[in-house]
Amino acid sequence: MIEQIVFYSLSALVLLSALVVVLNRNTVHSSLFLGLSLAGVAGLFACLGADFLFAAQIMVYVSGIAVLVMFVVMLLGRASDLHLRQVNEFWMAALLICAIASAGLFKIARSYAGTVSTVEPSPSTRVIGKLFLGDFLVPFELVSLILLAALIGAVFFTHSERAEAAK
Amino acid sequence: MTLAHYMTVSGLLFLIGIFGALTRRNIIGVLMSIELMFNAANLNLAAFDRFLHPAGAVGQTVAIFTMTVAAAEIVVGLALLLAIYRNTDTTYVEDFNLLKG
Repeated sequence: MIEQIVFYSLSALVLLSALVVVLNRNTVHSSLFLGLSLAGVAGLFACLGADFLFAAQIMVYVSGIAVLVMFVVMLLGRASDLHLRQVNEFWMAALLICAIASAGLFKIARSYAGTVSTVEPSPSTRVIGKLFLGDFLVPFELVSLILLAALIGAVFFTHSERAEAAK
Repeated sequence: MTLAHYMTVSGLLFLIGIFGALTRRNIIGVLMSIELMFNAANLNLAAFDRFLHPAGAVGQTVAIFTMTVAAAEIVVGLALLLAIYRNTDTTYVEDFNLLKG
């Protein structure tokens, strides 16, 4: 019973705040609700017993990405943006695409309607660590290379113009 | 709770993300919608891992990789956005037509 209550309230939180992210006119409010939605997804991870994913979601998304997005929104936003439409004129076509995609998605979801988990959730951090340094060793090293590339790329893209202007 | 419940939630989250990525005019809104889509995929990976393969944690490991790539993507995306904003003075995607000639 308590599991149902937690699941449904977290799902409602995630989906409603995601809708606010997409539909709200004020980008600052959008980015705040993005943080709320990501925190709700972290709660769903906790419901699934994925403890390491829960912690990583809180650390990477809620306190990293959401704050970074909020920072850029406040850096680039203007007061006049609040009076402009934030949704383009193709929203009908986008709604149609979503309707077609939802038909397929929910057809697949319906085929798993009877699948319940048979075992109790167990801590997974140890297993994930062994997988990282075992079966997934090459992707693990490649991902560190991607992070380094992202770091250098971010510095490069934000720095080059300013150095030229200083000359 | 069955697997279909989690798939429905992640499917709806993904559809909301698609709708936002297709319709937002502000590029920061597009990036935020893409983050929602990444999260829907992660939720699906964790749910399949829990319900169909509870012995290992391969789905959760792949979800960690997705998370890392998403973080790198948003960092590079926002850095590019800052560079574009410095040149064009706008954040609306329909104004990013420098290559149109």
